[in-house]
Amino acid sequence: MMCQLYIICILITVFVIPFNFGIEIPEKFQKSNHTNNWAVLVDTSRFWFNYRHVANVLSIYRSVKLFGIPDSQIILMISDDMACNPRNPRPATIFNNAHEQINVYGDDVEVDYRGYEVSVENFIRLLTGRVPPDTPRSKQLLTDEGSNILIYLTGHGGDGFLKFQDSEEVTSQELADALEQMWQKRRYNEIFFIIDTCQASSMYEKFYSPNILATASSLVGEDSLSHHVDSAIGVYIIDRYTYYVLEFLEHAFSSSEKTMTEFLAVCPKSACLSTVGVRSDLFKRDPSKVPITDFFGSVRPVTITTDPIDILDIPKRKKTEKQNKTNVLEKRKYLPQFPVHLVQGSA
Amino acid sequence: MWASASFVGVLIIIGLPLWWKTTEVYRVTLPYDQISAFDQLPRTISTDLKILANDEATASELAALIEVAFEDSNTIKPKIHKAVLSDELHHALESVADEHDAVDEVAAAYNLTAHNCFYVVQRRPLFQQVWLAGERVMFFRDSEDAPIVVEALQKWVYQMSVLDGGRADNAADSARRTRLPPSAGYHVVLSVVHPTPDKLKVNFDAKEAVEDYIGSFVDELSILHNFTLKSQWLYLLNFDFQAREMKDNSDSGRHYSVRRDRLHRLLTALEERAATHVAALPTVNLAMYLVPCRMAPLVIYHDVAKPVLAPVQAFMSPKWGGVVLASPEEVDCTPQAVWHPNTRLIMGTFLAQLRPLLGIPDTAFISGAFLEPLRSVSPRRWELDALLRLRTLEQITTAQRTLQSLAQLLGEISNIVINDEVGASINSAVENIQKASVLAAEGDIIAAYETSKRAYLAAETAFMDPSLLALLYFPDDQKYAIYIPLFLPIMFPVVLSLKNLLLWFRGKPVHKDKTD
Repeated sequence: MMCQLYIICILITVFVIPFNFGIEIPEKFQKSNHTNNWAVLVDTSRFWFNYRHVANVLSIYRSVKLFGIPDSQIILMISDDMACNPRNPRPATIFNNAHEQINVYGDDVEVDYRGYEVSVENFIRLLTGRVPPDTPRSKQLLTDEGSNILIYLTGHGGDGFLKFQDSEEVTSQELADALEQMWQKRRYNEIFFIIDTCQASSMYEKFYSPNILATASSLVGEDSLSHHVDSAIGVYIIDRYTYYVLEFLEHAFSSSEKTMTEFLAVCPKSACLSTVGVRSDLFKRDPSKVPITDFFGSVRPVTITTDPIDILDIPKRKKTEKQNKTNVLEKRKYLPQFPVHLVQGSA
Repeated sequence: MWASASFVGVLIIIGLPLWWKTTEVYRVTLPYDQISAFDQLPRTISTDLKILANDEATASELAALIEVAFEDSNTIKPKIHKAVLSDELHHALESVADEHDAVDEVAAAYNLTAHNCFYVVQRRPLFQQVWLAGERVMFFRDSEDAPIVVEALQKWVYQMSVLDGGRADNAADSARRTRLPPSAGYHVVLSVVHPTPDKLKVNFDAKEAVEDYIGSFVDELSILHNFTLKSQWLYLLNFDFQAREMKDNSDSGRHYSVRRDRLHRLLTALEERAATHVAALPTVNLAMYLVPCRMAPLVIYHDVAKPVLAPVQAFMSPKWGGVVLASPEEVDCTPQAVWHPNTRLIMGTFLAQLRPLLGIPDTAFISGAFLEPLRSVSPRRWELDALLRLRTLEQITTAQRTLQSLAQLLGEISNIVINDEVGASINSAVENIQKASVLAAEGDIIAAYETSKRAYLAAETAFMDPSLLALLYFPDDQKYAIYIPLFLPIMFPVVLSLKNLLLWFRGKPVHKDKTD
């Protein structure tokens, strides 16, 4: 039943989206005053048996891109390269469903941090903006006071920490402090924080900065479970929570009236087998009046220019520095293969 | 006993303080009192305003009205000097016919090149009540027009709402949402997008156009920022406008429509190819999209039946840049033809987009007042002054907020390191904020801008310095987790021996003799 539904969803996505114009937000929603959208999507775990985490994060990546967040405003951190893993029976592909319809590792995936670059240090540096000076702008979170940020984390977690790379972990306190530093520096307007790990809700318990809505796939003491195995690939290929989130998002493409409340209720205990945790006390708006496009979509305000400057005289810029390049072509010649001239010169 | 005393000596008297000292989070002493006293610094920017009227009464009346109008402002404070026009100048102003000649007359008598100094001059033979062009001179007819003069000063010359928005806590102000944040420099990149190079021949010198038009414009702003100009051609970028054919009364009998809410997708498509976000400085993207012949002319529609009526089809996106959709004429699409796009119109559009992006807001309409439309690439002189004031205020405010946030964070989060370099940056930022506030209050706008820029950059560097996270992997709880297993087994016998040691110091026998 679920599979059929899923196929229908895919069909809807494939055939409806290309003909769909921009999404119009109905009046009943509270107006958000954000001016741009960013997404930070992080997969923290390595190794082949964690294939599902890569599939999770790439599926979310694909969804937010379909919703319209441009690649330059998505920071994607993937700590292992499953597509090129020698165990992958279908190299250069990653699937999030045993039916293998959608290759989430399509031809336009822009990974910003990969492999061992996905470390606690880089993650915290990214959030706080304290990156080394030679970091390209594409690897920085250049948000401002009008940015809504979607943060999605997946990997293996415990009570109060999230493991990165099997060697280190970020604690909930460090994460809370990093978000506070972002708030103090006015680097966000609102944050929607999603985490899909075991004991996930422990990661948002220490948050103390305003305007954060957080949700987690499981409460403290619970495990987050994976959804199904692809026997061709041989490992679990997606987590339950993310699976239902994606299903929800696929529906949301066609109808724009989905709210955050609906998103937060996306995975009931009967489906997830773990309890989805929500923390909304820091969030000032009512989630039932916030469209999901405030975080998943992208606002790009466009102003039509109607009055160009009617320039009278064609300006000529004063050339301040003269070009000193000489245009005489240098004659080129081959050197002798054996440097006889050196020997003859010394004789 | 001496042995256990020496253990106590090494471990407790030397070891503990040493451990405490070496594991301490390194922090340079910071001027917290000065940071918390930022609110007491002067908050206004002074500016010179000279009123030249035909008689003393008019000048005083106008001066009084302006003074009242600006009394409540906490951003700008005009220093009003009033004077009566000299007979010679008065005569000249009454007799010359053209307003620009009148400006030249004023320029001959007064220095109009000084920044942050504006002249309000009476001139009776005026078609409008108030007249303003590119120079730092505004004409008014007589004292009855004083309210319009005040309105023009507030909205056009001093741009008070924009200035207030530069300091406000939230970014509700549209000018602030549009302009790029302050920076030492910007890249301006013109991308000429040519989706069908095989079908349409185009003659457009992008490099020359950028150099001449944009270059001449940014040269005028060179006291504010450094600019790097670039141009590039992008071929074969096909964007699906979902254009629809519309019938109309033109020669070709049709045009194509693209809906306004489709346009933001073009920005995303452009961004992917233009790759301007890899540059180190903030970038202003200018894109000229050469519309393919099969959907030319392309017209933007607000909704189904409301086309954009403008000489050029163009749009801009705040903090990003502008796009011009240049459509070829039908004759340009014949196989042998070469299309010469209208460079003057296109670059004029880009300049109109570039101005608000760099912080020069569009001017509102004021009834009774006439603002001469801009006919050249260079900004108006008083717009430049307003921009200097705006950026000064913005930089001072941002730097103050950054330092205050940092000071607060240092109290909240214990493991932030402040090393000597960051400390020096903070000190220099504090010093420059104080200097810039004083300079701004004195009205020395160029020096205030330079100082505020230094303050802003120093504060940003201090907050964003990578070394602040040096102890990221060493939080407090881990300190105990590491040291307690290491030291506790050693400390046990040492602490237990303290009692014996005390007894020994008091001269009591330590070991009881065995009784049996």
